[in-house]
Amino acid sequence: MIDFFKYRKISYIASSVFIIITILLIFFKGLNLGIDFKGGFNVEVRSDLNNQDLNSIFSQIDSSREVIVKKELSSNVFSIRIESGSGDKVFLDVVKDKISNLQNVEILMSEYIEPTFSKDLIQNSLYALLSSILVIAFYIWIRFDWQFAFAGIMALLHDVFLAIGFMSLFNIEFNLTMIAAILLIAGYSINDTIVLFDRLRTLTSKEDVKINLPLMINNSIFLNLRRTILTSFTTILALVCLVILAPVNLTEMPIVFIFGVLIGTYSSIFLALPTISVLNYESVLKSRDS
Amino acid sequence: MSILKKWRFWSSLLILLFCYVAITPNFQNNDSSNKINYGLDIQGGNSFLLELSEDVFKNNLLLKIVSQLELDYNLRSIINGDQIELNNSQDLSKLNNQVLQSMGLILDNKSETTSTIVLDNQYFKKSISDMTLNAVEIIRSRVDFLGNKELSIQKTGLNRILLEIPGNLDQNVKELISKTAKLNFHIEKDSYIDTFVLENTDTGEFVRVMSRPSLTGDYLQDASLQYDNNSPVVSFSLNKAGADIFGDLTSKNVGKRIAIVLDGSLISAPVVRDTISGGAGVISGNFTNEEANNLAIILKSGSLPTDITIIQEKQVGPSLGKEGVTKGVYASVIALIAITVFMIAYYKVSGLFTAISIVICLLLLFSLMSLMNATLTLPGVIGIVLTIGMCVDANVLVYERIKENFINKSDDPKNDGFNSAFITILDSNLTTLFAAVFLFAFGFGPIRGFSISLIIGIFSSLVVTYVILKFFLEIVPINRTGLKLK
Repeated sequence: MIDFFKYRKISYIASSVFIIITILLIFFKGLNLGIDFKGGFNVEVRSDLNNQDLNSIFSQIDSSREVIVKKELSSNVFSIRIESGSGDKVFLDVVKDKISNLQNVEILMSEYIEPTFSKDLIQNSLYALLSSILVIAFYIWIRFDWQFAFAGIMALLHDVFLAIGFMSLFNIEFNLTMIAAILLIAGYSINDTIVLFDRLRTLTSKEDVKINLPLMINNSIFLNLRRTILTSFTTILALVCLVILAPVNLTEMPIVFIFGVLIGTYSSIFLALPTISVLNYESVLKSRDS
Repeated sequence: MSILKKWRFWSSLLILLFCYVAITPNFQNNDSSNKINYGLDIQGGNSFLLELSEDVFKNNLLLKIVSQLELDYNLRSIINGDQIELNNSQDLSKLNNQVLQSMGLILDNKSETTSTIVLDNQYFKKSISDMTLNAVEIIRSRVDFLGNKELSIQKTGLNRILLEIPGNLDQNVKELISKTAKLNFHIEKDSYIDTFVLENTDTGEFVRVMSRPSLTGDYLQDASLQYDNNSPVVSFSLNKAGADIFGDLTSKNVGKRIAIVLDGSLISAPVVRDTISGGAGVISGNFTNEEANNLAIILKSGSLPTDITIIQEKQVGPSLGKEGVTKGVYASVIALIAITVFMIAYYKVSGLFTAISIVICLLLLFSLMSLMNATLTLPGVIGIVLTIGMCVDANVLVYERIKENFINKSDDPKNDGFNSAFITILDSNLTTLFAAVFLFAFGFGPIRGFSISLIIGIFSSLVVTYVILKFFLEIVPINRTGLKLK
């Protein structure tokens, strides 16, 4: 049997390093904020032109606005982001008017978000994120114990944070859909953790067993190892199908989620469970026995 | 047959029957309300999020209160920020708490010289909410002419309105929905006291008029597009009270110009030639057909009680959504096949149970979505693919536990395995479910679409695992499930 518990120091150090890298990434590289959180315009076009041609076409419409052109994966669809500025009210109509004269550019989707509204969306998403994390913590606390709640939430935050770092590293646009992806990662991560917690609870609740928490933690992981691998594998299988075949503007979400599945599996085994012992859950068990 | 005695058998039948009944309306061509709606990102269309200005509304409300205080109680007051200040030298005894309360006001502060009153916050919030509901009706009547039956318009939050119009739009509705449509008539006055200058930037026409409007659009009864010498004009008619004011106004001001002002900008300033009784008139400007038509529509619908801005707008062409759905369906089908092949290879017969479970889980998901008239969006499709994942996870947990129980030589490996695994499944799924519910409550746009399919998906997966998977495990002898180790 593998002694997972033994690796806890290595995993704590590794995760700390990852977190520091993420902080540095967010600090120096920043997040590629989409219009949901920054306000402005987003136009999806189908075209056989290249990035540069499109950039110059859209820059010409209003030279004072910054234009960012991005080609979507494996298609001739481009996402063009144009920053907000004066005369926003009619700008979209001007753009459509200009583009309708071009033969080789077809507008698929256009969107405008007022900068003040995007602030609301940020606030809204944070509420959604924080409230669901609190609910998760509360549920684990009720069903298990506070050590489990703490360890589970720490692992969850770790996963969410690294996923944000992943998006920064690969310059993936951060928008409302990505908030959904992050929440999904949180859900998957906690799902995986709870399956292990549940096993640990069953093992520790057996009577006339000498309490050896590290051994029990190892057992919980080991007994569930096949399930962990199978589920991660099948989930990633489904996600790979989505990456290859997802709607053009949604390809990045499954990619981020694949990263989330991997990191979530890692954090459940190497962070969440060992932390329960680190938090001295033994004393709870011993006081219960006596 | 013992199979008929099992409640899971009957429940499974019931679930299938329910799915059949619930899904059928989606394939019928009637206006049944129990269908899945497709979000604008799937079927293509336009959405606008409108915000009604709280500040302007508050200001208008304060102005109204000031004039009410003067008319009803003969009290002079001034507006200072969002407070109303009254000089204490006046007889304030009439303004007792009961009167204040009825006007939605609170006495905030009383110093030696002045009394300050403010709007009661609760009353104000309710006024905004009522005003927004009222604005929803006004906007609805403005877009009614599109004749679009699937158009949806609703109040969201305190002072926002979400307007969704599926399909392609020929007309530019932005013009119609983003105008306050406050119509004022100002009489020309050649003086510098209480006057201001209006100018039409298109035609260069300008006129100095009285600050106070002599007639407002509140008296409008009807408006329509007409033609005067082949050029489009808007004819209007006033109600009885308005007609009297207008008659009086025109008779006193023959030879002067009367400025017709919409939302603060001058449309035209025709000269009054004669007394106009009967309350009918014509607004001519340099209108195009569409402009005149739009003006007639917004005048007829009435003016909004405050300023309105479009804070989000989105137009999705029909091809993008169609492509998205086709790809989403392909992705789901291929994921389904890949997972099924893998599960059958790994678990043999039990893998087949999983495949059937997934299919029924998806059917149940679509049934519930139809029944709830839920909206399916592209992020929702991703949520559905994840439902497949959760359903598979539940199966794997059960199978692995059963296998383990064989190793541990349990008395009843099948039932013990299922029961202990189901506790784990319940715990892990409920956590995700709670998180999804909160997402739905707080989220907006794509987050909502995603969370709704996740919520229904988790529920379906739990039901299918508890009823159908267990049913298979009960009726198939353990030696044939492929879970028993040789």
